[in-house]
Amino acid sequence: MTAAIEAGTTPDIIMEGPERLVSNWGAKGKMIDLADLWDDEALADISATSEAVVAACKSESGAYYEYPLCMTTHTMAINKELFEEADAMQYINDDRTWTTENFEKALQALKDHGVETTGVVYCGGQGGDQGTRALAMNLYNAEFTNADHTEWTMNSEAGVKGLQQLVDWCDAGLLSYDSGAVASDEIQLFANETIAMSFCWNAANQLTYAAETAFTPYPVAFPSESGTPELCGGIWGFGIFDNGDADKIAASKIFIEFICDDATQGPISISNTGFFPVRSSYGNIYAGTEDEERMETYASFQKWLGDYYNVTLGWAEQRTAWWNMLQQIFDGEDVQAAADAYVETCNTATADASAN
Amino acid sequence: MRKKNVTTRSKVLVMRETRSAYLFLLPSLFFFVGFVIIPMFMCLFTSFFNYTMSDFSFVGIGNYVEMFQDEIFQRAFWNTVLIVVVAVPTVTIFSLWVGSSIYRMHAVTRSFFRCVFYLPVVTGTVAVAVVWKWMFNKYTGLFNTILSGVGAIDQNVSWLGDEKTAIWCIILILFTTSIGQPIVLYVAALGNVDTSLVEAAEVDGATDIQTFWKIKWPSIMPTTLYVLVITTINSFQCFALIQLLTSGGPKHSTDTIMYYIYYEAFKLNRYGFGNAMGIFLAAVIAIFSALQFKVTKSGSVD
Repeated sequence: MTAAIEAGTTPDIIMEGPERLVSNWGAKGKMIDLADLWDDEALADISATSEAVVAACKSESGAYYEYPLCMTTHTMAINKELFEEADAMQYINDDRTWTTENFEKALQALKDHGVETTGVVYCGGQGGDQGTRALAMNLYNAEFTNADHTEWTMNSEAGVKGLQQLVDWCDAGLLSYDSGAVASDEIQLFANETIAMSFCWNAANQLTYAAETAFTPYPVAFPSESGTPELCGGIWGFGIFDNGDADKIAASKIFIEFICDDATQGPISISNTGFFPVRSSYGNIYAGTEDEERMETYASFQKWLGDYYNVTLGWAEQRTAWWNMLQQIFDGEDVQAAADAYVETCNTATADASAN
Repeated sequence: MRKKNVTTRSKVLVMRETRSAYLFLLPSLFFFVGFVIIPMFMCLFTSFFNYTMSDFSFVGIGNYVEMFQDEIFQRAFWNTVLIVVVAVPTVTIFSLWVGSSIYRMHAVTRSFFRCVFYLPVVTGTVAVAVVWKWMFNKYTGLFNTILSGVGAIDQNVSWLGDEKTAIWCIILILFTTSIGQPIVLYVAALGNVDTSLVEAAEVDGATDIQTFWKIKWPSIMPTTLYVLVITTINSFQCFALIQLLTSGGPKHSTDTIMYYIYYEAFKLNRYGFGNAMGIFLAAVIAIFSALQFKVTKSGSVD
């Protein structure tokens, strides 16, 4: 897309997330304001699902550069049969949440049961980094950014405590880390039962790996000190590039409205993504389908959808700095110092992006 | 008078041939200018600007100053140099050894070896990288399985995730994908060495080693020069393996200039800064190549 934008050969319509449509391309004047699609009815309907979705699609200047179609929450997953054998299911609540303390007990139970590698904190790249971010953030209920999305805050006491906890678990052999693996590698290890849990899971992953798993992947929330997790979300929708052709822009808007809002096509479009509608009026689009049970489970995580901090400027720099910071702390560097350096890098990137 | 006519006619003929030659070159020239020369000048020009997705302001040599002060760039530069310094001699020496070992074999055997060594070259980089990644896997990889099986390691090694091993893994893969073409070239070059010179040396009592260094080595020097230059350029431009296997990690230990250019230009949209690094890389490659031309030309025979 970068090459296409510079060459002036962008498509008219693109499906992406707010971190690119709004915070990147929109902020740089490449996108069309879709405020006319966000009429009162759409605004009320989407707000009823999540105010965070509305906020994510809206730029600082008040322009809507994304019209959302679907959303999901990213979870982790465990090997249910293995947990049962290790008598570790007792540490997970009925609503699929667990506390940090119970998570540690579960790790210990798995270890005592003879599981060599319980889970892997992957940090070989940015792929699936939402999993490691959610893990480190939730352990002691830290915030990833401030409420205004202008500063990064994982060097806070809670953030550092969470990061330190991961290092301690790795040192104690309760967890493992791999600076050469990304999420796809970790999921593969989970699918072939080399490890007992995955930190990068969602409804679509379960469907993708269904044929490869000979066990029950049991989705659970990330462990948190309070027991109330804050899960990372994914929001996908449409944006229109400003190609200077009013007719094409008008036609694109009609197309997007049809794909997202048409009473028949809307639910079909969403079910094809394997995620959930942003419109509350659509209700349970998977009711009566073979996916109903699976999707109902994942829908239950929606209530823990956290702040969509992905729209913070300097997002691309932050992603690279994050896994580099994880590599540093697992390699023995002081956690507070590494977190401070990471936050400084991110805040500089955010300030630079704001200045431009 | 007659002499003058002949001279004029030959000049016309030369001009006609020259014109034809240029006409034949024109299509290639068109693409070369359009896709190489003009982008090179654009790259040089924009390297003096803060060229991003939303800005295009003149900064003079600002990008170059920033580049030399950038610690990640410095790390990437020395990683690139390490790759070149290790890969180029090893590829050249190994290719020469394999080439000289197989060029006198039966045609079928020779073709078999050529196929074996050329296979990684024609296999897609992504496929090669994926297979190596499996072999390097910390938990299920072939290397750890073998090494722990024979008791050489107590705990599994994260080959691509350890600062000490990652760059050497990249060099190893680069080595396997780089030797195919030099081996084929050396087999062809050694087969073309004038046998009368070799036989004369042998008749004069030269040993195999003397024959190789005094007769064959100077004869295949143009091939060696080509191998050196191509391998140097490929090593300097190492990108795909980094992108597919390590993303420059762990802790920037496998960052190369090419990967850093990609990261700055395509992930952070800092095209001007990326272009400044591109110009620097091109200059370094040109200097290395010129040195290789100078050194190897002095030892070659016409």
